[in-house]
Amino acid sequence: MTFKVLNPGMFSTIQDAGRFSYQTFGFSPSGVLDYRAYQLANRLLGNEDDAAVLEMTLQGVELLVEKDAMISTSGAEAPITIEGNNYSHGTVIKVMKGETLKIGKCENGSRTYLAVLGGFDVPEILGSRSTHTRSGIGGFKGRTIKSGDVLKTLGGDFSDGMKKIKAFESDNNIRIIPGQQYERFKEDVQRKLFNSEYTITKDSDRMGIRLDGPGLETDEGHDVLSEPTQLGSIQVPKNGQPIILLNDRQTAGGYVRIATVALADIPKLVQKSPGETLTFEEIDVDEATKIYKEELAKIDSGEYFEDIRDFTSVRRHTSLKISKLMGV
Amino acid sequence: MDIKRYSENSVTVYLGDEISEAINKQLVHLKNELEDMEMDGVSEIVISYTSLIIYYDIFKTNGKDLEDVLKTIDPARLEKRSFKYNLVEIPVCYGGEYGPDLELFDDNGLSPEEVIELHSDTKYLVYMLGFMPGFPYLGGLDERLFKDRLDNPRTSIPAGSVGIGGKQTGMYPFTSPGGWNLLGRTAIPLFDENRDPQILYEAGDRIIYRSIDEDEHKKLQQQVENNDYEVKITSREAK
Repeated sequence: MTFKVLNPGMFSTIQDAGRFSYQTFGFSPSGVLDYRAYQLANRLLGNEDDAAVLEMTLQGVELLVEKDAMISTSGAEAPITIEGNNYSHGTVIKVMKGETLKIGKCENGSRTYLAVLGGFDVPEILGSRSTHTRSGIGGFKGRTIKSGDVLKTLGGDFSDGMKKIKAFESDNNIRIIPGQQYERFKEDVQRKLFNSEYTITKDSDRMGIRLDGPGLETDEGHDVLSEPTQLGSIQVPKNGQPIILLNDRQTAGGYVRIATVALADIPKLVQKSPGETLTFEEIDVDEATKIYKEELAKIDSGEYFEDIRDFTSVRRHTSLKISKLMGV
Repeated sequence: MDIKRYSENSVTVYLGDEISEAINKQLVHLKNELEDMEMDGVSEIVISYTSLIIYYDIFKTNGKDLEDVLKTIDPARLEKRSFKYNLVEIPVCYGGEYGPDLELFDDNGLSPEEVIELHSDTKYLVYMLGFMPGFPYLGGLDERLFKDRLDNPRTSIPAGSVGIGGKQTGMYPFTSPGGWNLLGRTAIPLFDENRDPQILYEAGDRIIYRSIDEDEHKKLQQQVENNDYEVKITSREAK
C-alpha cells in the first residue's frame, strides 16, 4: 500500500508515540501532539498502539493512492474527499488504486491525523518513527513531506470498521500543576496567571505554544541552571510571556518554569490555534495523575467511539457487504 | 536530596544548586544505581547540572513509591565510590575556514597558537547533554579562553564546529544557527545513526580535543565518507 504526495499541506510529518529513553542524550521526544486522536485513529484500524501516522497542521494533504489501502482519520475535523465525493471524518475508509484522497483545511482544531493499516513504513531511529525536523531525525527522511514523496505502509489484516470517533467538546480551560520555580513568583503574579486570558500567538509550533497576555515577572530572575524540560512545562523568559513546551522542545532549558500542563489536557491544548485564548486552573500532581488515568482509560474502553448508523457515509468495503446482506 | 514532583509521570531529584564535579558524580552514580535496580515501570532517567528526572509508567508505579526508594539512597556515600567513565578523543582542525574566530582571541591577549594549546589536551567533563542531540555541556574551560558570544549570531554553523560561548566550550553535532566563537571543526560525526554508540559520550564522561592539521582532517573526512573511521574511546576509572 503506497501513496504519492500530490500536495503536502502546510506542515505534515510522520509521527508515532515518540522517541523516549534518549532525552539524556539530547534527543527531543517528538511524536504526535494529540495522543488521544492518535490512539483513536490507530484503534479504528486495529493497529498497534505505536503505529506511525501522518500529522497535518492546519491544512491537510492530497495523496494519489498507488495501491488499495485502508485509512482512518482523527483529530481536528477536516473535509475528506475521494475523487470529489465527501466522506466522514473519524471513520475507516477504503481507498483504491488511482484515486485521489484529499484532506482539506482543519475546521475545529489545528492538528488532523491520517492513519493507515499497519502504520507508515519508515525506518525506526532510536526506537521510533517520529520526525524531529530540527535535527532532521526520523520519519520520512527527517523532514516534512513534499510533493512527489512516496509513502509506504506496513499493511496487515483488517476486520472491523463500523465505528466512528465521537465529536469532542472543548473549552479554553487548561489545568496546570505548580512548576519548578512557581514559588519564585509573588502571589499577585501567581493570581495573574489564574485570573487572566492568554492568547496563542502565530510563532507557536511543535516546539512550543507561545502565549501573549499579562506579563509574569519575578524579581528573582528568569534564568536558572539548565534543567531537563518536560512536556507541558510553562517557561517564562524575561519578557514575562509564557511558552508551553511541546514534543519537539529542546531537552534542557534555562528559563524559570511556573507550571506544567496536566497531561489530561494536552489533547485539548494542542488543538488550539493561533488567536484562540486559554485560561488556567491550578490542580495538584495527584489530582492530575487521577484525571490522566481516567483519560487513558476512556481511550482504552472504546468510550470515544460510536456505532455508524448512517451507511451513506460508509465506503464500498462495508456498504457492499451490507447491500449483499440486505439483498439489494 | 530534594525530591519533587512536577508532572504525573516523573520525579525530580535535586542534589545541589550549583555546577560542580562532585554533584555531577553523585548524579551519575545515582542514575547508575537506579538503572541497576531495574525498577518496574521506570522508563527513562535524564541528568542535568544539579538534578535528575525519573520518568515512569503511571500504571506500573507511582511517585510516592519512587520517593520511598530514593530516600534509602545516600548520595554522599555514592560520591565515595570509584567511578568508571569514558575518555573520548575528538580530533579538531583548528583555525582557517574551520575556526574563523580564532583571531578574535587577540582581545584576550592570546595568539591563535596559544588558544589551540589552551583548548586542546584538556579533559573536559560532560555535565549533561541538551540543546540538540549530542550537544555536550562541558566544564573545565581555561578562564583565559572565556569569551562572550558574537554580537551577531551566525545563521548557519556547520555540523562538527567546535567553539566557545561565554564560559563554556562545546561542539555542534548538527548544522544550526548559533552565536559561539568558532575555533575549529571535527570530521567525526557526533551523531551517527548507523554507529554503536550513536552518540559518543554521556553525562560523566570526558572529552579531549586533539589538534590535527588540514591534511589529516581531510583524510579523516574521507574515511568518514567511506564509513571506515575509528573514534578513540578509553574506559577510565576515577576515585
